[in-house]
Amino acid sequence: MEKIESVYIHIPFCNTICNYCDFCKMFYNEKIVDDYLIALEKEIKKIYNNDIIKTIYIGGGTPSCLTIKQLEKLFDIVKLFKFSNKYEYTIEVNINDICEEKLKLFKKNKINRISIGIETINNKFEKFLNREINKDFFAEKINLVKKYYDNINIDLMYAFPNETIKDLEKDLEFIEKVNVPHISIYSLIIEEHTKIYIDKIKPINDELEEKMYYKIIPYLKKLGYIHYEISNFAKKGYSSKHNLTYWNNLEYYGFGLGASGYINNFRYTNTKSINNYLKEKYVYDKQLITKKISMENEMILGLRKIEGIDKKIFFQKYNFNIEQVFDIINLMKNKLLIDDGKKLYIPEDKLYISNCIFVNFIGGSNE
Amino acid sequence: MDKNHIRNFSIIAHIDHGKSTLADRILEITNAVSKRETKAQLLDSMDIERERGITIKLNTASLKYIYKNEEYNLNLIDTPGHVDFSYEVSRSLASCEGAILVVDATQGIEAQTLANLYLALENNLTIIPVINKIDLPNADITKVKKELIDLIGFKDEDIVLTSAKTGVGIKELVDKIVEIIPPPSGDKNLPLQGLIFDSIFDSYRGVIISIRIMNGTLKIGDTIKMMQTNATYEVVELMINTPKEVKKDKLEAGEVGFVAASIKSISDIKVGDTITLEKNPCQKALPGYKPMKSMVFCGLFPIESSKFEDLRDALSKLQLNDASLVFEPETSTALGFGFRCGFLGLLHMDIIKERVTREFGIDLITTAPSVIYEAYLNNGDVLTVDAPAKMPDKTLLKEIKEPYIKTNIFTPSEYIGPIMELCQNKRGNYVSMDYIDPTRVNIHYELPLSEIVYDFFDKLKSFSKGYASFDYELIGYRTSNLVKMDILLNGEIVDALSIIVHKDFAYQRGRTIVENLRKNIPRQLFEVPIQASIGNHVIARETIKALRKDVLAKCYGGDITRKRKLLEKQKEGKKRMKQVGSIELPQEAFMSILSMENDK
Repeated sequence: MEKIESVYIHIPFCNTICNYCDFCKMFYNEKIVDDYLIALEKEIKKIYNNDIIKTIYIGGGTPSCLTIKQLEKLFDIVKLFKFSNKYEYTIEVNINDICEEKLKLFKKNKINRISIGIETINNKFEKFLNREINKDFFAEKINLVKKYYDNINIDLMYAFPNETIKDLEKDLEFIEKVNVPHISIYSLIIEEHTKIYIDKIKPINDELEEKMYYKIIPYLKKLGYIHYEISNFAKKGYSSKHNLTYWNNLEYYGFGLGASGYINNFRYTNTKSINNYLKEKYVYDKQLITKKISMENEMILGLRKIEGIDKKIFFQKYNFNIEQVFDIINLMKNKLLIDDGKKLYIPEDKLYISNCIFVNFIGGSNE
Repeated sequence: MDKNHIRNFSIIAHIDHGKSTLADRILEITNAVSKRETKAQLLDSMDIERERGITIKLNTASLKYIYKNEEYNLNLIDTPGHVDFSYEVSRSLASCEGAILVVDATQGIEAQTLANLYLALENNLTIIPVINKIDLPNADITKVKKELIDLIGFKDEDIVLTSAKTGVGIKELVDKIVEIIPPPSGDKNLPLQGLIFDSIFDSYRGVIISIRIMNGTLKIGDTIKMMQTNATYEVVELMINTPKEVKKDKLEAGEVGFVAASIKSISDIKVGDTITLEKNPCQKALPGYKPMKSMVFCGLFPIESSKFEDLRDALSKLQLNDASLVFEPETSTALGFGFRCGFLGLLHMDIIKERVTREFGIDLITTAPSVIYEAYLNNGDVLTVDAPAKMPDKTLLKEIKEPYIKTNIFTPSEYIGPIMELCQNKRGNYVSMDYIDPTRVNIHYELPLSEIVYDFFDKLKSFSKGYASFDYELIGYRTSNLVKMDILLNGEIVDALSIIVHKDFAYQRGRTIVENLRKNIPRQLFEVPIQASIGNHVIARETIKALRKDVLAKCYGGDITRKRKLLEKQKEGKKRMKQVGSIELPQEAFMSILSMENDK
């Protein structure tokens, strides 16, 4: 059995619901959160197998919207895990929830990385996102976090409807100014079941979106960030170890409402129904990952990393060379994949169309 | 049965003029089927026939009818109505002594009906003219009668008025069949002479032959011989179709039926061949059929290369009851291994494509249809070229000839203008125009066949709001100023996209083709230039932009399951395209090169 080193915990509560968000979430309710934490603790006790844990990620929703008391309870639950000497322990926070009291509480409870969802500083998109936006207030809050933490991530978004390159530049300038060591930057996707989908918001033009992507990369690189995954940038030594678990196709625990996990060759998704979850009916769907599917996932996930897939590791894991399993000759001929002898990777100018490359691995193995 | 009590007949009609419904009524009145059993269009047994409402494969029904207290055996031999199928029409007609000519009371005579009628007259058949659909409020019986009298020379009293829908006039019609269609000639005591006019493959019984006995008698246990192929078989079963299958001990001169003889080898049976007995053979084979020449050719390539042999098998089986289908292996640099197939016309081509896909489950890419060109070389050789890619280099060519046709276009006179403009744009030469009556004309043009293979018929229909009908005859080959135009994708010639064009229209066509290709080829992973070139001279160019749309979404909580679902959906779309080098081409791309105007 593979050793599991990572844990994801989902806290599906928010004070406001963002118009674009299709993650599993609901409005904050004190009683439900209390009950939820009890169910969460039971789920962890039931599943967790005493592995030594190297990364923990508390995401949401908005974990930071819980009360101090509830947060203390949550961190107590996390203490069920055996921590490795070196670990990464991240919590997502909403900028509005940032205060000294909570930061001190995080610190006291071994949290060593903070992820802040900013998305944009442009208040032109305030209505669109259903979030208040105040650039100076944001800067102030980030500086407060920096008093306690140096390992900070900021989430940004681009490709909002009517966004211009100029708008994007302002967000990037803000990033330059606040100078945190990790940036995740995602394009807006209009997902079904979100308000912007129901309102029939049209995505921006493809060419412009691509221009934005290729504006961001050199901008951040120039600031000293390493582009290490399609949408992620980090200063040296600050890449997210937790997310690398996903991209390296390794197993991990996923706890909480709607969370997904990968244990013992099974990928599973938890229920999105809070009632079922509170009744301890946790798992909604479970799928055995055969060697074939695992190899496909290895490619689809691994090629998200800019350095690509280590060919030797692939062989050690599956006893096959990549070329034996997948027909990659055409992809290489068209310069969609590069083989430098050790690694197989997508060149920078083709990252934007990575899905069209990934598609070739779906059902594409010769196994 | 005594042959004086046999009548063999077929029905000639334009599509939609009610032939199949009329056939159903005849089956009903002869009690071949009870009303309860009447599914719409009983004789059309293939799915596609029923869906398209046209009769593709002929079928035969043997019906009992009591006339003046005597029992008659009426053999209804079904014929297809479309001009593409005139070969099959001639097969049906050769096994009959009479034909019912059906004309729609609301439409009048159509060009194709006339063509088939002339075929029937050539075969010396007795014709019963019928005006059908007289129940419709817009029926104009007087006008249609006048057409039949003026145009073909029928007598007023010969014309039968029917409504296949309500049943009016059906009995009168069936009585007329007995009264005026002559019984078959022939002698049951002479050596056996049987005409093979159709065959199908049955997985349990092998090839089943449709036969018309001209002379002699055929019994179970007889050893038969095919005069063309010399193959011999012992007869296992004899049947007629009522339209239920009924077993018989023998078939005699004048009769029509089916023969099963455990025939496994499809190639032993040729439609039009004569069957005789091995022991007591006849002296001479029947004249058979004038083999129909394929008019339109295109390449059929399996999307999955591994299905090549399956495709061969499918085409062989279809050929068995469709002798007009011809095919031979073809290799394309772009598309791999496939078959170049010859068809009677475009409808025929569509039906074969559809049957291959539907009945045999093989997904196909078909190249744009082409006609046969004659290439006259400087060294005196003459080549027949059925695929543009095979056209010799122009330095070797003295001239190219292409097939021409002469049209009969029947149309209400208000559409003369647009139709003439259409013909002019298709390189047509005006010949003449006959007035059928003050409101309808028959327009004659000479047109290159290549100009009508693609969208002529659709255009004609839309220019005349559906009123014009169209028929043509081949009038021979003529020299034209033709050149081969190649299409290059990403700098490489895609042989399957080459096309022969008239030099004067080349520039215009080149522009249209590259524009249509740009619209019909989805964005690829990289920018793809499209060029049209003649010789080494590029005359038009477009670019397919590289694919942009993509999702750089957050892989939420490592949930790859959802991501995979999106990718799987994307993959589905890919499957319907053919990989040509590094480019994925959809079927539409191959057809769009023939479109004369910009697709929307």
